[in-house]
Amino acid sequence: MNTTTAIAVTGLHKSFGRAHALDGLNLTVNTGEVHGFLGPNGAGKSTTIRILLGLMRPDRGSAVLLGGDPWKDSTRLHRRLAYVPGDVNLWPALTGGEAIDLLGTLRGGLNEGRRRELVERFELDPRKKARAYSKGNRQKVALVAAFASNADLLILDEPTSGLDPLMEATFQRCVAEEKAQGRTILLSSHILSEVEALCDRVSIIRNGRTVEAGTLAELRHLTMTRIDVELAGPAPDLPWAHDLVADGTRLTFQVAGEDLGKAMERLAQAGIVGLTSRPPSLEDLFMRHYGSER
Amino acid sequence: MTGTWTLAKLIIRRERLVALLWILLLAVLAAGQYGRYAAQIPDIRAFAAEMAGNRALTAFAGEVHSATVAGMAVWKNADAIYTVLGLIMILTIVRHTRGEEESGRAELVGAGVVGRLAPLAAALAVTAASAVLAGLITAVAMIKAGADTTGSLAFGAAVTAAGLAFLGIGAVAAQLTRSARAAIGLAGLGLGLSYLLRFAADGSGVSALKWLSPQGWSHLARPYGDNDFAVLGISVAFCAAAIMLAVRLNSRRDLGAGLLPERPGPAGSVRLSSPLALAWRLHRGLLAGWTIGYTVAGLVFGALAASIGEVSRQGAAIEEFFRRYTGGPEATMTDAYLWLIVLSLGYVSALYPLLAVLRMRNEELSGRAELLLAGPVDRLRWAAGHLAIALLGSAAILTAAGLAMGLAVGQPGKVLAGALVQVPATWIMAGFGVAAFGLLPKAAAAISWAGFLFVNLFGEVLGPILGIDYWIAKFFVPYPNLPMVVSGEAFTVVPLVIMLAVTAALVAAGLGGLRRRALV
Repeated sequence: MNTTTAIAVTGLHKSFGRAHALDGLNLTVNTGEVHGFLGPNGAGKSTTIRILLGLMRPDRGSAVLLGGDPWKDSTRLHRRLAYVPGDVNLWPALTGGEAIDLLGTLRGGLNEGRRRELVERFELDPRKKARAYSKGNRQKVALVAAFASNADLLILDEPTSGLDPLMEATFQRCVAEEKAQGRTILLSSHILSEVEALCDRVSIIRNGRTVEAGTLAELRHLTMTRIDVELAGPAPDLPWAHDLVADGTRLTFQVAGEDLGKAMERLAQAGIVGLTSRPPSLEDLFMRHYGSER
Repeated sequence: MTGTWTLAKLIIRRERLVALLWILLLAVLAAGQYGRYAAQIPDIRAFAAEMAGNRALTAFAGEVHSATVAGMAVWKNADAIYTVLGLIMILTIVRHTRGEEESGRAELVGAGVVGRLAPLAAALAVTAASAVLAGLITAVAMIKAGADTTGSLAFGAAVTAAGLAFLGIGAVAAQLTRSARAAIGLAGLGLGLSYLLRFAADGSGVSALKWLSPQGWSHLARPYGDNDFAVLGISVAFCAAAIMLAVRLNSRRDLGAGLLPERPGPAGSVRLSSPLALAWRLHRGLLAGWTIGYTVAGLVFGALAASIGEVSRQGAAIEEFFRRYTGGPEATMTDAYLWLIVLSLGYVSALYPLLAVLRMRNEELSGRAELLLAGPVDRLRWAAGHLAIALLGSAAILTAAGLAMGLAVGQPGKVLAGALVQVPATWIMAGFGVAAFGLLPKAAAAISWAGFLFVNLFGEVLGPILGIDYWIAKFFVPYPNLPMVVSGEAFTVVPLVIMLAVTAALVAAGLGGLRRRALV
């Protein structure tokens, strides 16, 4: 068993009838890292997670979770993981506190002190019946149960949908604490600022295939820097510029990392009056893959 | 009331196929029975006299109103039709009122240009229209089969009236409880009570009790006899009053709220420590309802045994009756009645394990199963919790009925034994449900309900209408194979062992399927 790899997925295929949900997906999550799992709706994030949880089997490809087979060894592996779905549905007649204890006890016990602390931090009323909870509060129940568990691996599928910004901040602090304790976290999310703030590495998928994977720094190299420049004279010819917008002596364009030096030389010759450059954000990265091609 | 018509069209769109199926089923039950009696019973007057003198049968079916083919066909199946229609009305109205609120869809609709009462009005209108249609089609089917026109119209009106009365009960229940499941339970209790009152009226001869029961009102219309349409005014008035109450309750409460405010519960629990503990928590309400219902039914049915009396055993129909429901020449009419009752309790109890097993499908669809199965809970262990309650629960229900009835009759041992031999047959239905859930999950609900209706209708009712002999039903329906220990047959273990083996095979197939298939 490879102790440094928590999740190793290679060439995963899964179809539902004629629809291909996964089409050769790869995903590697190292032990102890927070891994962002990004993709538009319907890209196959939840299908991948359901395969990792042993709820369905892939048609082809392999998935290794904590060194085991997620389908065959599901019960053994599940002792070491905690899962938070994106849409938590609870038993209507149970209170939130009962649901937390149920999920915790089944997983082999909760850290009582941590449970109390989390209930307080997430401002959850554990005595309310689940049917009276809002979506955000149901989400909190699953988050408290997961964070108060002693699991090595947390699988979070869009866990903050429905949380308010304050709770979102609490969530981010909790994830940082979990990471400090050496836990591995797979975070599927749409909230790019959240991924940017929390994740060591990200995998971006589209149409069931992995299109980018690496650290944020690595991925930034793959994309372009946005330049906003005010020139002294007429604009020079810039063959490396993308999406160039010229407004008199004011230019806005994007340029790839390897062309940045050449472009700056030309601009310097023309005389730069003012310049701002913005490094590619995760959002740019995301838009590059999904925005135009959609 | 803005938007009522749009919402009504939505309900029609969602119900049209199922509604068509059940309306046709009811019409076939009525007209098919007419066809069978017309073809197979040469002397309908003698047959009517034999039936009218058999109080065990008139308790089940009601009084004989008319010694004609149509009169006897309606006598045989009318009570079942009224009761099944009542159940359908309750399920339909609750699904489209409280069910929509519970799922949150009502909120989505309510945010549109829709009047406050429109969702309720649309659900009531469509459900009531389906009851009218059921009555109309039943009447037309009877006339086409050759029955007298006025009588057929009276019968159709009685069918519609029974449907409307239970529509009212369901509509009020849906306003009182917070969950659709509880509303169905509450209205179902009303349906059961109403059935018992009508049964007690005809079983004891205290006909006045019939005036307290919606099924009783339809019986009092005496189709093909007096054709008393006026009595059905009670059903219509009852329905109107119930609807007014439902509307009043609806306009006085918040969306999603029940009659009682939600109280805070415990902040945690150490008892919910296993899938079985959770399953027990989820099932205990329904199981308690069934156990209480079956206990009350056992007491009432048992108390009526004293008034059954003896009957002359001359005549083809009465001979067939004793051949079917007794196992020895020394069995009395009362013994036959008691066996008929425990057998009926067995047939109806088949619904409990099917509902309990379908609960698993509900847990799966709602994503709650996923929450558990993402923990170290094996699928089989999860299913075992629900299955244990389905099996032990059905045994408990039948035991409760057997004890209550045995005590009321004064023969506790014999009657309890009769109730207990039903258990393996009901367990086969549990196995049937598990097999459907494991192997064909998407169709599991439809298969389970179809299985329940098949078992209950095929042997005694649909089989003969379709021209299939009673003994053939024994191959498809477990209950006729049980040893009739209440009415003179010696106990034999063989059929019970076979049933347990069939149950085990079905459960194994279902669990095998569950282990291999993807969860939703």
